[in-house]
Amino acid sequence: MKGINPLAIIGVAAIVAIVLPFVGSDYAISFSIQLLIFLVLAASWNWIGGYAGYTHFGQVGFFGIGAYVGSLLNFHYGMPWYLAAIIAALAGAAVAIPLGGAMLRLKGPFFAIGMFGLARVLEAFALGFDSITGGGTGIYLKPVSDLRPLYWAVAGVAMIMVLLTWRLDNSRLGLKLLAIREDESAAESLGLPTTRLKIGTFVASAIAPAAMGSIYAVYLGFIDPPTAFAPNMELTTIAMVLLGGMGTVLGPLVGAIVLSVVNEVLWASYPQIYLACVGVIVLLAVLFMPRGIVSLGMKKGWFRIGRPQFRRLAARKEQAAA
Amino acid sequence: MSDPILAVENVSKRFAGRVALDSVSIEVAPGSITGMIGPNGSGKSTLFNIVAGTLRPDQGRVLVTGQNTGSSSAAEICGLGVARTFQISRLFAEMTVLENLVAVARGRDDRAAISLALELLDFLEIGDIADRWGAELSYGQRKLVEIARALMLQPKIMLLDEPFAGVNPRLQNRIVEHLRALCARGITVFFIDHEMRIVLGECDLVYVLAEGRLIARGDPQSVRNDAKVLQAYF
Repeated sequence: MKGINPLAIIGVAAIVAIVLPFVGSDYAISFSIQLLIFLVLAASWNWIGGYAGYTHFGQVGFFGIGAYVGSLLNFHYGMPWYLAAIIAALAGAAVAIPLGGAMLRLKGPFFAIGMFGLARVLEAFALGFDSITGGGTGIYLKPVSDLRPLYWAVAGVAMIMVLLTWRLDNSRLGLKLLAIREDESAAESLGLPTTRLKIGTFVASAIAPAAMGSIYAVYLGFIDPPTAFAPNMELTTIAMVLLGGMGTVLGPLVGAIVLSVVNEVLWASYPQIYLACVGVIVLLAVLFMPRGIVSLGMKKGWFRIGRPQFRRLAARKEQAAA
Repeated sequence: MSDPILAVENVSKRFAGRVALDSVSIEVAPGSITGMIGPNGSGKSTLFNIVAGTLRPDQGRVLVTGQNTGSSSAAEICGLGVARTFQISRLFAEMTVLENLVAVARGRDDRAAISLALELLDFLEIGDIADRWGAELSYGQRKLVEIARALMLQPKIMLLDEPFAGVNPRLQNRIVEHLRALCARGITVFFIDHEMRIVLGECDLVYVLAEGRLIARGDPQSVRNDAKVLQAYF
């Protein structure tokens, strides 16, 4: 099989992530925390949007729920940020279970827009229930003096997400999700429990974003509704997956790195027009690489093609037969 | 006739007031090859979709191995041993042939699923295309892969929707041989097609639908000479 093995790229990324806190400046660590948070969001969104084909604009809702659950636990009860992040992740899952059951009856644009609406409703709640959430004033948290513990936590979650995506890509569960993406009613006719698979994936894709929301609030030292439920966060996440390659292992990783770096460089050089420049880059990428960088790389033979597990096993069987 | 593996009892279906099926009843014997013919729009595929659970009948009921499937989902009906292919190929285009098969396999063991998939591809003499993408396949290859994918479910009965349509005569003969071999393995085959040579030459029993009504039922010889069939079909 030609091309670079995704695991090799993941390995290199892991080594860079491990070395960085020892050699990088505070700025590099701060930037990397943001990049890794986006990587986690992109990897989570890739499960439901990329693999199962249920694209949506509501993941920031779970990010926001996590941000508020974590911040309130931290603010009112003095809970350590890492414990608050775990509880925020569980809260994300708890909200996603009934929400998935209700929302996944919708398909296509109805699901996508319905989820966007839900995120906006959650933002309105956060604004309206100011006795609990602080409303528009937000919640101020005790600033952390050292970003490194946050960095390790976010890097650890990002590594787990990428490895889980690799596992998903090489499992029959991944194939079942792709079958739903390609033709849900045919998949159901062929015995796949599509409802259970969709809800399971939706819930799984809500857990890490909720934890990231909680950690992001600690990173900023502050949270308010426009920050917790920022549509810009959602759109950037989706742009990363589109740019990297939907339904691929490396897509979110490549998309998060490329777009974060481009974003940062343009912001530093052209602060007035950087958003427009990023928009043009994403537009050009979607026009000329509609399946993303990783899919193009697979086509050109730069990256080893996705889902090699079944081919390798098939090849072994053929060799054994010979 | 022994207890039917599939029984459709007085099933009716309307679409926006138009009658698609009008009180249709059929029975399929276990281990048989049963065919269904009828002009385009006669309701054949609608009947298959009702049996497979992708459509609900307005009236009547469907029994699979004696079990009423009225409240079952398509996946649950599949679990009763009903596997199907589609009139227009619905292979998962962005998966390889092997992945198309493995994706629908039952059980937890990946190696067992791959082993069964390769065995079925060999059985259908298409083992050489295991690594080809679904989107790359010819029309005839798609038909065979759909049959292999249905067989992955280790079904009791296979519903084949026009397996011979658009397929060259040589490949048609190969498919017929495979269907006979499936019957020898104890799998019941129920198929729809317009290919009279095969329907009248290979089936144990033939049903004829026209305008949503069952107009004939019998062995190929009696159906061939039925005046109503001749009028509706030829």
